[in-house]
Amino acid sequence: MSIITTVGGRLSQAFLLLLVMSLIGFVGIHSVGNPVYNIVNIETATTEDIRRATIALGLDQPLWQQYLLFLKNVVTGNFGTSYIYHLPAFDLVMSKLPATFELASIAMLIAAPTGIMLGLLAGRRHGSSVDRNVLKASVSALSIPSFWLSMMLIMLGAVILGWFPSGGRGATVSLFSREWSFLTLDGLRHLTLPALALAVPNIALIARLARSGTIEMESQDFTRFCRAKGLSSRRILFRHTLPNISVPIVTIVGMQFGGMLAFAVVVETIFAWPGVGKLLIDSIQLLDRPVLMATLTFVSVAFVGLNAIVDLFYAVLDPRVRLSA
Amino acid sequence: MPSKDLGSALLAAAFATAVSVAPLGATAFAEGLRIGTSYKLMTLDPHYADLNENTSLLSHIYERLVNQDEHLEPQPGLATSWRQLSPTQWEFKLRDGVRFHDGSPFTARDVVYSIERVRDFLKPPSGGFQLYVKGIKAVTTPDPLTVVIETSSDAPTLPLSLTSIFIMPHKADGFATTEELNSQARPVGTGPYKFDSWQSGEVLNLVRYDAYWGNATAWSDVTFRVIESPAARVAALSTGDVDIADYIPARDVEGLENRGLKVDSISAARSNFLQFDIGRDQPPGVTGKSGDPIKNPFRDKRVRQALTMATDRAFLADRILLGYGTAAAQLFPPGLSGTSVKLKVEAPDYDGAKKLLAEAGFSDGFNVMLAGPAGRYPGDSESLQAIAQNWARIGISVQPVVAPFSVFATQRSNGDYPVWYGGCSGEAVTLCLDAVLASPNTDLGTGSLNYGKYHNESFDEMLVKAKAMEAGPERNESLARATELVMADYPILPLYHFHLIVGHGQKVGSYAVHPRGWTTAMQATPSED
Amino acid sequence: MKVETIRALWKRPTRKSVSLSKLLLATYILLALVAPIIAPQNPHDPLQIYAWEASSPPLAMGGGGYTYLLGTDGLGRDIVSTILYGLRISLVVSITSTAIAALIGVAAGVSAAYFGKWVDVVIMRIVDLQLSLPTILVALIAIVTLGPGIDRIILAIIIVQWAVYARIARGVALSEISKSYLDAARLQRLPTRRVIFRHLLPNSIAPAITLVPIELGHAVALEATLSFLGLGVPIDKPSLGSTVASGFQYLLTGQYWISLFPGLALFGLIASINFVGEDVRRLLDPRNRSI
Repeated sequence: MSIITTVGGRLSQAFLLLLVMSLIGFVGIHSVGNPVYNIVNIETATTEDIRRATIALGLDQPLWQQYLLFLKNVVTGNFGTSYIYHLPAFDLVMSKLPATFELASIAMLIAAPTGIMLGLLAGRRHGSSVDRNVLKASVSALSIPSFWLSMMLIMLGAVILGWFPSGGRGATVSLFSREWSFLTLDGLRHLTLPALALAVPNIALIARLARSGTIEMESQDFTRFCRAKGLSSRRILFRHTLPNISVPIVTIVGMQFGGMLAFAVVVETIFAWPGVGKLLIDSIQLLDRPVLMATLTFVSVAFVGLNAIVDLFYAVLDPRVRLSA
Repeated sequence: MPSKDLGSALLAAAFATAVSVAPLGATAFAEGLRIGTSYKLMTLDPHYADLNENTSLLSHIYERLVNQDEHLEPQPGLATSWRQLSPTQWEFKLRDGVRFHDGSPFTARDVVYSIERVRDFLKPPSGGFQLYVKGIKAVTTPDPLTVVIETSSDAPTLPLSLTSIFIMPHKADGFATTEELNSQARPVGTGPYKFDSWQSGEVLNLVRYDAYWGNATAWSDVTFRVIESPAARVAALSTGDVDIADYIPARDVEGLENRGLKVDSISAARSNFLQFDIGRDQPPGVTGKSGDPIKNPFRDKRVRQALTMATDRAFLADRILLGYGTAAAQLFPPGLSGTSVKLKVEAPDYDGAKKLLAEAGFSDGFNVMLAGPAGRYPGDSESLQAIAQNWARIGISVQPVVAPFSVFATQRSNGDYPVWYGGCSGEAVTLCLDAVLASPNTDLGTGSLNYGKYHNESFDEMLVKAKAMEAGPERNESLARATELVMADYPILPLYHFHLIVGHGQKVGSYAVHPRGWTTAMQATPSED
Repeated sequence: MKVETIRALWKRPTRKSVSLSKLLLATYILLALVAPIIAPQNPHDPLQIYAWEASSPPLAMGGGGYTYLLGTDGLGRDIVSTILYGLRISLVVSITSTAIAALIGVAAGVSAAYFGKWVDVVIMRIVDLQLSLPTILVALIAIVTLGPGIDRIILAIIIVQWAVYARIARGVALSEISKSYLDAARLQRLPTRRVIFRHLLPNSIAPAITLVPIELGHAVALEATLSFLGLGVPIDKPSLGSTVASGFQYLLTGQYWISLFPGLALFGLIASINFVGEDVRRLLDPRNRSI
């Protein structure tokens, strides 16, 4: 009963969120400039041509009418056609999704184990120099602007060492009728640097969380009891502490995964990674409103959706948490 | 000149006609070519957008009736010869034995279909190509290999107009839509390469068309990778990820050459210049030294002349473009048809400029905003900064403002700027004379880039007369005279003709850069070994 | 110099590093204040820039009669001067926006708690909406809508950050309201203004202040990111972020100094703010002391 009302509240809130965001995004991109200048050949198009193209895109209508039309179309699942690529906007977003998804997944595959190990290590020796260094390293890692981190990774890995390419996606293989690059060696080489750039702040976040969880567990009577019984530290750590701190960690992993869909904007732009984030920035720069709206909607839905799943998961795992709280 | 049949084997490479393509057997080179390009292929519809971004890549698949060589002169393409039957009628003889990639023969019906698709079927926002065909009244086909085109008014340069129109195979059931071409159907043309696969804005894969009518192509397959950042293109070339990279920034040439890579360049058929708001009494962004509003200084020829004299154009070409640019005094680089040999770039004369300014009543100078796009053309924002320094020496304080191109273009057409950095390119200098210097006139289609509302009646008349003349030395001479007349009034401040720089690795022996800025596999000749 | 400082932060025990990060932050603020005096060049003045000396390597001699210690950027601006002036922009933007965001947020949170009913519903609904989206997305939408410019960036950051303060302040204010002394105040028919300004605000501000350093660090990073994406400061007024961004195209061909040094300065700034922020939080929140 309470779950249903919560889900209902969630849904209506998400719906409201999308509506407000689409309105702001719509008005925002409209005020920047006329996309027609990116479509016509500015050097041959007469004022008349530009006027006609503007009319053809419906950009001569009052903004509120354009917005209503947009809403009407979205209800039928149509986000419109990209001004630049002349492809259905939502299909375009979907075609970029595998690239972002595999990048975020690999980044998380790097970040979660590394972060947990560091956190367990630090928390187990609370107050030691290892602990202090992990803590400081995590504050530092969270202070590095992600665009600068990406650029330094390129400088080190691509320019100085020459081990990895500086950008692009590399060779892809078709699987489930989508193109994936993690299945080829060339693709993995292209994936390494951007995945690292995305992973570093997440390692720091996860390590901090795992550390504080471990400290809390270590101070509990149960752990002391185990130790008194002569169980090895390692056994206590992996059999007892780790399962107990897994709930908050899974939560943060889920939330950060959703966040990566959005934060990949910067990393994807720098590594010329053809994902959803780069599409978002490109569509802003090219004033491609249908694509911008489709991307914004998709990222918000994914983010909100993932968070809701995480909450649900949290409630299932940990009965103390009440969804309605 | 184009009237004799040069034979099907000659001039096979679509644009690089002057390149001596080594006679290589088709089987000798089964190698693939990878090209890193700045051109993002936007759509597979060859008639959708009249932008190099599209046409450059699609010219592997589709061909035109007439090609343009590196002097921009028309050369046979799918048409082997053409002649003017009357001032409003042209006859084109089509190449025999040409087949589309789907096996169907190329005939006059395809020409009719393509022209009508552009003229009648495609609706805005596509429509850039309409400019070239809207004067066509009727297309008739006396026989399958002859096309007669009738225009509504005199069309002395119709073959040149047709260098922009790609030929598609006709369809029995109406015209193909852009959506259709983008999604379901594979694009089919007569070109040397067949379409294999693409991802919009990312990659285009092409394979050799074995039944191509012309010289066998040198490469078994071609992969285009869209790499928008110039630095990333340079990096991809130097690490060997691609064999060719276009639009190399001048500053990277030395580094590439040090790594054993080669670089070819040519002066682009275009210019970049400053334009002034001449139409309004008080354009925004111009104030007196104390911030008070002043009357439009750019209406006075002496002010425009003074600013021209105070701009060190040689510096822009030599130091900002590092020699990969030519200081400009007109719209196309001298040497191309219709340009003047008399117009020269003078060394800056700051004292003379100051004197002129004082004569015009601006002895104290003024404040002005100087706008431009960011990173659209080589050296754009750097030039604004250098010009600001130049003009400061004659008491004019400049506030440079740069914005992404679409934002800049929107604000320029809104009339938000008093002086701005612009550019023009095209298949002939007449296009830029029309767009930049002729008075705005919707009926004639002139003045599309004349945002400053410059009017010069005697120039307009001379230009109309020159354009009506038949292609040849006399027409070129008249165009040059008209250019000299208008430039003496300093309507714009030409800055430079930048050079197109293309780099390539060992696999490629030479690359013939085309002044129109196209990047194609046909321009690349394999190295001998 | 900054590299050493950061390394030192790493090695020394906690007590010492507190003072070190504070020292670093103080140095940054001092440098920003005296930038016009100590910078060899004013990178905002086109007349002092020599475009032909663009991307000179570190230690190159410049036409202005001084050495480009850290080289020049792609437009010929001295990197040292650009860092100093960029620091000013980064600090002005982040401090202004964080301060205003905190004020607005606390005011909104307290109002929501005090007035309750629809005021509470409206304010908290907006807060929930905003906090359920990634900050970078909110910032992107805001800046696209507002347009470019320093004042717009400040506004965008305020829009992003006020909600966090509002949520915290509301929580604190609600618990204050439930305390008896406020009931007494109300019974005495004290004017609303007085209740809010004398009792609610002072008590709600303290918890909000613990957030300030963290949000300040976020603000610096956010300004840099927006500028990096080309949606921030104008090109003739470079911030640290936009300078790093402008160096990207030179990085791949080995001209590392345009991105490296301003980026290091930016990293040092954010790190010092964050370390100080950690300490502030630890001091103010006794429960966190052990963690």
